[in-house]
Amino acid sequence: MKSSSVEQKLRQEAGELLSSGKVEYIIGFERGSSKFTTTPLITRDKGDASRLVIDPFISVNLARFLTELKGRVGIVAKGCDSRSIVALIQDKKVIRENLVILGVPCSGIIDLSKLERLTERDREEIQSITCNGEKASVDSGGRKVELPLNDVLSDSCLECEFPTPQEYDILLGEPRAGTPRAARGKIEELEALSPEERWHFWEKEFSRCIRCYACRNSCPACFCPRCFVEESEPQWIAALPRWQENLIFQVIRSIHLAGRCVDCGACERACPANIPLRSLVRKIYDVVDDLYHFKAGTDKGSTPLLAHYESTDPGDFIR
Amino acid sequence: MAGKKIGKNEIARLLADWKKEFTVFTPKREPDNSSKMVEWDGKDVSFLKWHRNTTVPCKALFLPPVEEMFRFQKTAGGHYYIDLPPVEKQKRLIFGIRPCDARALSLLDKVFEDTYEDPYYLPRRANTLLVGIGCASPYDSCFCTSLAGGPFESQNVDLLLTDIGSEFLVEAASEAGSSLLKECKYLNEANETDEERARDVKERSREKITRRLDTESISGRLSDIFEDEAYWEKIAAKCISCGVCTLLCPTCYCFDISDEISRGKGHRLRSPDSCSFTEYTKMPMENPRAEKWRRLRNRVCHKYVFYPMNFGATACTGCGRCIRLCPVKWDLSKVLSDLAGKA
Amino acid sequence: MRGESNWEPKLIGFLCRWCSYAGADLAGTSRMKYPPNLKIVRVPCSSRVDVLFILKALQMGFDGVLVSGCHPGECHYQTGNYYARRRLAIIKKFLEYLGIAPERVQASWVSASEGGKFAEVVAKMTEEIRELGPNRLFADEK
Repeated sequence: MKSSSVEQKLRQEAGELLSSGKVEYIIGFERGSSKFTTTPLITRDKGDASRLVIDPFISVNLARFLTELKGRVGIVAKGCDSRSIVALIQDKKVIRENLVILGVPCSGIIDLSKLERLTERDREEIQSITCNGEKASVDSGGRKVELPLNDVLSDSCLECEFPTPQEYDILLGEPRAGTPRAARGKIEELEALSPEERWHFWEKEFSRCIRCYACRNSCPACFCPRCFVEESEPQWIAALPRWQENLIFQVIRSIHLAGRCVDCGACERACPANIPLRSLVRKIYDVVDDLYHFKAGTDKGSTPLLAHYESTDPGDFIR
Repeated sequence: MAGKKIGKNEIARLLADWKKEFTVFTPKREPDNSSKMVEWDGKDVSFLKWHRNTTVPCKALFLPPVEEMFRFQKTAGGHYYIDLPPVEKQKRLIFGIRPCDARALSLLDKVFEDTYEDPYYLPRRANTLLVGIGCASPYDSCFCTSLAGGPFESQNVDLLLTDIGSEFLVEAASEAGSSLLKECKYLNEANETDEERARDVKERSREKITRRLDTESISGRLSDIFEDEAYWEKIAAKCISCGVCTLLCPTCYCFDISDEISRGKGHRLRSPDSCSFTEYTKMPMENPRAEKWRRLRNRVCHKYVFYPMNFGATACTGCGRCIRLCPVKWDLSKVLSDLAGKA
Repeated sequence: MRGESNWEPKLIGFLCRWCSYAGADLAGTSRMKYPPNLKIVRVPCSSRVDVLFILKALQMGFDGVLVSGCHPGECHYQTGNYYARRRLAIIKKFLEYLGIAPERVQASWVSASEGGKFAEVVAKMTEEIRELGPNRLFADEK
């Protein structure tokens, strides 16, 4: 597949950063070994830079690797990833001067399960997916279908306010506008249910959870060396995959992320049981925005949300 | 033995008959699209249109996510009374298990029969019949053909079904399977065309599997490169140490045991654990596998070196779940085939 | 629900050591009458309270959780209760979104001299929870 001009520029910049010694590592994406996937490329070797790609399957939030790599790093960052980086800078977990951010204005990630549903084909039966502007062309065994791109993009991308990185060193591609914050599809649906129905919904969803922690481990903001689930004295929640513990784990995790979760969607994409985690973490993002006019990851210089207070903070709920 | 076949439209009645004698389990797709084996609801046979294995492997029916090992209670005299659960006697039948998952069960058997006979796993195994369905169209991530298996391997099931259009070819693969067939009312004789159709389906399915590993050399290569820290660090760089590969691997069996006690009464529970987790080997003084490259090396070598050393078989059936479901798409088959190439 | 005639609400309160716990103490020494349903856990400051405590309490079966601290501007550690206010605001909104009745998790500012207010807060909360019924959120049989 011919590489785009953005990809070519990326490979060149990344290669130069490594050969000049400006960075010790490059973190980006390369083509995955399965169809329609990419996989993180973390390398010190300038020869690997030629494998870097930018396509609609770059679904990992690479910022999650920043807290474990030592040294100067050149990192490919979509809009959401760059906000995660800003949140990490605010939390003083990464030093800005140690980063070279290769910003990528993002056209969105394709949600393969949406595409499968619309084309009525398993991804195993699809030969190619190509994006041209507002359309996605899907070729499955000689049958070509054209779909509006918006029909197959991941929900997190459709609702993305900041697809263009605001924090970057090199911008690869034309800046794009985001979607202004509006009602959140799935969250709105849930809020229309009664409290009992909502709780029952979560009970059902978390019955599928296997406590793999893919959600936590794919999140850049979950950087605690010792997570609360690993505490045994006292043990907050049992390490058993019962729906009660599963739900409590995710509720606490979501609240612990307040002010730092940028709603990149990586947790939901990582979940092997397809639990709608964004309907939890996005709610936290919205609550924080509503209460404190704080959009996580958009203001590098501001104090982290929960390390700050104002005398005018809402307090009517307190007796 | 003359070939037999059964119409797909008879399966519901067949399962209903079997339901009288066994608890029947079939694959089920959840609304979110993930899938697992559940107790058959008496009606749904939509899984007959599937070609591939479930998200959650069948080991979950033998090593349940939360298993109560026993209950205990403090008596007035200050002793503990331990209440063991009754030995599982319920006869079960799993319909629609894939050859990779069935092979995985035979690999788990070796562990749970070794030295200490597990009183929870083994009775379940003894009481469960396996009716397998071969995979007519494998996943991109499947590589069962490299591990002496193959999408239509029959040696670990009691019956094997092959999809030949509107019917399944039915082959008995064990004595229990033959008995099941003898009592089955819905079978027809399979003719030469049917047999040929089946052979064709099996062959084409094998051809669709493009991932290949040279399993002969892998164990040796892994042992050679075991001490190469730089190699393992590079390989493990993108791993995020979650538990997806282990918890959804049909041959992984590590477990955790915990007690829940309240006012002198409690129970001991067993649940799956993962060697990928940071705290898996954490002890008060140290953690021998604190670095994730050590954990990854351990996992790969367990499957392809240590288990073979102990039990004479590779602890991997090529089901591909670790590749397909990994959040960062770390690919064991690629790592191993690159390694074989490095020689 | 209400039909269970001998069910009494089981409440837990995380009271800050410098103000609210002292206020509760004063209610006691002043022999003020208020419902005995609240079990008290003393914390150094209301900002010690993490969402972990609240959810664990609910999972253990407490029907209601109270977090009480010093009035804004009076925190013994200067700013602790301001942080607690932010955290509690987020927690309350989120738990309500999940489907947990908002009355089950409450917050109050009670100073060391407000024995009466403490008694009132506990009395009000006990009644509200009695009205709601037992917490069966994490029960298995529905």
